[in-house]
Amino acid sequence: MPNVVTANNLRSGAVVYLGSAGRWVDHLIEAAIASDAPALKALETEALRAVESTEVTAVYAMDVAVIAGRPEPTSVRERIRAAHAPTV
Amino acid sequence: MYRYDDFDRTFVAERARQFRGQVARRLEGGLTEEQFKPLRLQNGLYLQLHAYMLRVAIPYGVLSARQLSQLAMIARTWDRSFGHFTTRQNIQFNWTKLEDAPAIIDALADVEMHAIQTSGNCIRNVTADPYAGVAADEIEDPRVWAEVLRQWSSIHPEFTFLPRKFKVAITGAAEDRAAILFHDIGLKIVKGPEGETGFRVYVGGGQGRTPYVGLEIATFLPRDRLLSYLEAIMRVYNLHGRRDNIYKARIKILVNALGLDEFRRQVEAEWATLDRPSIDLPAEEFTRIAAYFKPALLKAASAKDADLDARRHSDTAFDRWVRNNVVTHRQPGYKIVNISLKEPGKIPGDASADQMDAVADLARRFGHDEIRVTYQQNLVLPTVASRDLAAVYDGLVAAGLATANTELITDIIACPGLDYCNLANARAIPIAQEIARKFADPVVVQSIGPLRLNISGCINACGHHHAGNIGILGVDKKGTEHYQITLGGSPKDDAAIGDIVGPSFTAEHVPGAIETIVATYFELRRDSAETFLVAYRRLGKAPFRDALYGTGAKPAATAALENADV
Repeated sequence: MPNVVTANNLRSGAVVYLGSAGRWVDHLIEAAIASDAPALKALETEALRAVESTEVTAVYAMDVAVIAGRPEPTSVRERIRAAHAPTV
Repeated sequence: MYRYDDFDRTFVAERARQFRGQVARRLEGGLTEEQFKPLRLQNGLYLQLHAYMLRVAIPYGVLSARQLSQLAMIARTWDRSFGHFTTRQNIQFNWTKLEDAPAIIDALADVEMHAIQTSGNCIRNVTADPYAGVAADEIEDPRVWAEVLRQWSSIHPEFTFLPRKFKVAITGAAEDRAAILFHDIGLKIVKGPEGETGFRVYVGGGQGRTPYVGLEIATFLPRDRLLSYLEAIMRVYNLHGRRDNIYKARIKILVNALGLDEFRRQVEAEWATLDRPSIDLPAEEFTRIAAYFKPALLKAASAKDADLDARRHSDTAFDRWVRNNVVTHRQPGYKIVNISLKEPGKIPGDASADQMDAVADLARRFGHDEIRVTYQQNLVLPTVASRDLAAVYDGLVAAGLATANTELITDIIACPGLDYCNLANARAIPIAQEIARKFADPVVVQSIGPLRLNISGCINACGHHHAGNIGILGVDKKGTEHYQITLGGSPKDDAAIGDIVGPSFTAEHVPGAIETIVATYFELRRDSAETFLVAYRRLGKAPFRDALYGTGAKPAATAALENADV
């Protein structure tokens, strides 16, 4: 399954995703999609650098479904995180 | 209420200063997350789904009007203008930023508050009867001892790194309104043979993955021996608690593994070795602390109030509110007022900054400057003159806080669940909202009578589902939220853990299932005086299970049904 790398912004705690060129973005739609293991490894290496530079924390890779080229969350938890808001 | 002395003030200010330094070092990269996490947790700061969450301690659920106003200010300045009152009588701010946390901690210290020991494997904020000091059925005010325990347990060097978190609850009344039997240690002030007061001590209660009702370890502990006895319990737990397995690390597992008699024997053996005079509270220190909790000097007032009676007669909604939310005070002419944070459709336990300010204002004008927080996630004005009830009610109506449902089916306890919490498996809040909407008619709710409905979004049971007369537990089944229903739990003196009624339901079928359960109770209760819990104990779960799933060997073909047990 394709993956993206997500984290929380260290200062604000807000949900962020690793986009292109090492840039952290707010919206899942802008996240860089890793379709295979080497691509995911590259994203994780990039993310680790951002942890060390105190930009983000709580990094992990998450499964996504790619629909019409766009990443979509596959769990309720990730849907809620991606919305940056509770469902209520 | 208790006021900080120089020692307290210096201690809290020093902790705030230390935390500011720790946050600065984290932001500059001097501390890794691994190094920083235990430090932030010791100051109540969690990283949740969307943001940092700050859990603020409200010692034994007691707030002054000034403190509640300060919480409102914090909500406005550094959060999204609301706070969430929790089942441990605390408040959580769900949308804080790490870079703002030191300023929030400073603002708390300005009003003698902090977030110390609201997380971590330490003795957490001690909880107490929310009617402490004013209840008609009280033997002795438990706030004095709760404050003693707060001071004893705050950064106690021996109990800062326990096998797991540790929760103490205390009551001084005949009726348990603090769920003491679901705590690691539950304390009940009782009278001894000579009429002196002491403690009945319960140990090993708790909810979570492995729920237990606390067991009585001491029938009557002399009051002046409390601290050394608790220290002995803590030492046995600290030594033998299962540090190797987080799921078996709570004291309840140890007590049940050893058996109560062996656990008691070890505690008493440890107790005998302690230098009790150096640990137990000197009488003069008790007197010093007790002075802070002297009952307010209340003017004599008539228990009958013609204006109140007239308003009740002419205003049905006011009458319903008085009947459900207003409770007998120890002094005639005064009442305890419950303020529901459970308006159907709203988030249980949430209060906006404006609502907090409104309650603080009512406390100043009519409530002797005091507010309590209950573990049911509501607020209380503990002392209101009967003649002021109408004015308080009108103020609450204006603030959207006059829902008349205390202890009724829509007075739902619900944890934040998957909408906010990193640990949750399923959402709790929308389930609570949907059920409350089903039962929005206050006349229907009244006719159902007392009924505790509690919802947790995961097995950790912050929403007390095990102790609900009806309990709902959210679980994740192959990526879908499902809800398991339990019946027959009770958090009171007749504490019980609910029985799982059958296979779980998907979210959209939960409100209907609750309706079925209530309809079954309605049909089978002897009369309106037989509460849901009493009826359930008489009937057992069979009629409820049959109503939910059908009576045949094959369950009814309702879409509600899931075939596999969770």
